[in-house]
Amino acid sequence: MRSIPLAVTAAFSLLLAVPAAAHDAEEGTGQLGKVAFANSCDAKVQKELQRAVAMLHSFWYSAGEKAFRHVLEDDPNCTVAQWGIASLLMNNPLAGQGASPKAAETASAAIEQGRRSGAKTERERDYLEAVAAYYADFGSRSERARQLSRSQAYEALAAKYPQDDEAQIFNALYLAGTQSQADQTYAAYLKAAAILEKQFAKYPDHPGVAHYLIHSYDAPPIANQGMAAARKYSAIAPDAPHALHMPSHIFTRVGAWQDSVALNRRSADVAKKDGGSSMGDAYHAADYMVYALLQLGRDQEARRVLDEFKSPEGAGLPQSFAGPYAAVAMPARIAFERGDWDAATQLPVLGTAFPHTEAITTFARALGAARKGDIAAAEKDALRLEAQQKALTESKNNYWATEVEIQRIATAAWIAKAKGQPDEALRLMRAAADLEDRNEKHIVTPGRLIPARELLGEMLLDLKQPAAALKEFEQSQVREPNRLRGYAGAATAAAAAGDADKARLHYAKLIELTRDADTPLPDIARAKTYLAAK
Amino acid sequence: MNRRRRLCSIAGTLWLFAAASGAAPSDEGDEQALLADADYAAGLSALKANDPASALRRFQAALKRFPEAADLHNELGYTSRKLGRLDQAFGHYKRALAIDPRHRGAHEYIGEAYLMTGDVASAEKHLAALRSICTLPCEEMRDLQAAIDAHRRGTPPR
Repeated sequence: MRSIPLAVTAAFSLLLAVPAAAHDAEEGTGQLGKVAFANSCDAKVQKELQRAVAMLHSFWYSAGEKAFRHVLEDDPNCTVAQWGIASLLMNNPLAGQGASPKAAETASAAIEQGRRSGAKTERERDYLEAVAAYYADFGSRSERARQLSRSQAYEALAAKYPQDDEAQIFNALYLAGTQSQADQTYAAYLKAAAILEKQFAKYPDHPGVAHYLIHSYDAPPIANQGMAAARKYSAIAPDAPHALHMPSHIFTRVGAWQDSVALNRRSADVAKKDGGSSMGDAYHAADYMVYALLQLGRDQEARRVLDEFKSPEGAGLPQSFAGPYAAVAMPARIAFERGDWDAATQLPVLGTAFPHTEAITTFARALGAARKGDIAAAEKDALRLEAQQKALTESKNNYWATEVEIQRIATAAWIAKAKGQPDEALRLMRAAADLEDRNEKHIVTPGRLIPARELLGEMLLDLKQPAAALKEFEQSQVREPNRLRGYAGAATAAAAAGDADKARLHYAKLIELTRDADTPLPDIARAKTYLAAK
Repeated sequence: MNRRRRLCSIAGTLWLFAAASGAAPSDEGDEQALLADADYAAGLSALKANDPASALRRFQAALKRFPEAADLHNELGYTSRKLGRLDQAFGHYKRALAIDPRHRGAHEYIGEAYLMTGDVASAEKHLAALRSICTLPCEEMRDLQAAIDAHRRGTPPR
């Protein structure tokens, strides 16, 4: 047994009727980070219980639930295990998906069992009631209402037990889970981060603290602040698939592609080995990996990843949302990032259960056709896109309805351009870019297929307005930094506008970015030629 | 106006997104939960069956749980209009637009309600709002335009 953090145990010896026992979670097989969740459960379950809490902190749902249930086999009255099961079943609290009705039933049963078995301490009862606040009146409340109840309950818990650092950490997590996509001041995220930063200084090896800090900084203007936690988390819990993937959310925001590739390769491997419900995580990691590889000019490697996760006609795709999204997005990214409009028009429809993932293929085909000048084909797919957008609107899936609306407007813009209507084309493309700036990227994706503002830059370039194009490319780089296509566009625009300094700057960045490229891309050749000539 | 078609379409997609909504951001939940609400669904069915009195009762029951749902206020506006309670209809449409100023349906329907009172200028204002909201031509804009044109021709609203 490794040492128990003194501050934690000292604090809880005052609070608990039964002396607390705490263990490092990395005991046993696999390293999951240091967790010391004070509890009154039987001494013989302590090792497994701390591991289970560590799994909860790393959103390792299947393994975590199994571990908590194993604890209950040895100590049926361990209230913390029932709380842990109910907590895991809430799903990723940052994704907004929430518990399924079936999971809510299972969780409610666990909570009831926990109440009946009678917690030995008031604190443990309070934890159980805090998670119960989420499930109360489950069927007739919205997920948003549940999130708010959960956050309020954990805020009260943290206030009641100010010395309980686990309560502070969970309070921060569920507070971050209330962040509205419409709030671009990121108020809830930053409030959570302030709590977590103090804990990070105290517990640099705690999996939850580093993990939740990454989530709390997962927005473009604040992502840099999450780099320390991002660099640390995978080393804290290298055996948890989510810990190997999650830092890449920050790496993607700041354009640290090498880091993203390395971690997502490991994350995908661990998730594939885990199998079952973890396959969605494997696809998700693969999509982030493909996106990063394409920025580095490692197209051959990206295609190998695509082949590894190929799913002809959608067969065998994971049921969870992230899997189908990744399966549809990966081939479309490979086409879009290289401007391979022929390939975009040939993308197969996978027929997933999600209209917004299907819309990715429709958008790719429509935009590809429009950019080739095949107006009839573009208009045909634009109609499909309109139907998909309408389905999302009518089902009140407002976030994705807006994302598909952006795709619709961008498609209409390029159709207008193909028809020789430049003013209308620019009006629409600008509207799409502005709308996209107001709608945050969803965490399921490393990035849109292509930033709308980059598309605006490309359109301006085509329309012989290079100075205006440069402005749009540079504006796009603020939110979507270090993108190969963004540098190529900016450099081309700068050169055409006669701004040699900026052209050199952007081309030099492109060369630096692609120094390990495995594919002879025309953009790289152009950059080398330009830099050599000047 | 294609309201009946839209109602059918909404009812038809209820099942799909109960299961397949995917991960949605934190503030998506209320509108989707409304779709799953039994009273709201029953209200929509009652409207389809041309029974606005029953629809009103069910929507008012749903309103207790979803007082800030723009869609629900929009449906209450339409139902009140069907029952000839124009004052209440305007109240609900205005509430819907206060909650969501870009609510396309509420802009269309309040515009049509204004036409019922002969206030073409106010209907035109909501048509202008729809032109601004719908970057691409949208069904709500086309329908309100058609209703205004019909009003000008002296054709009674449908």
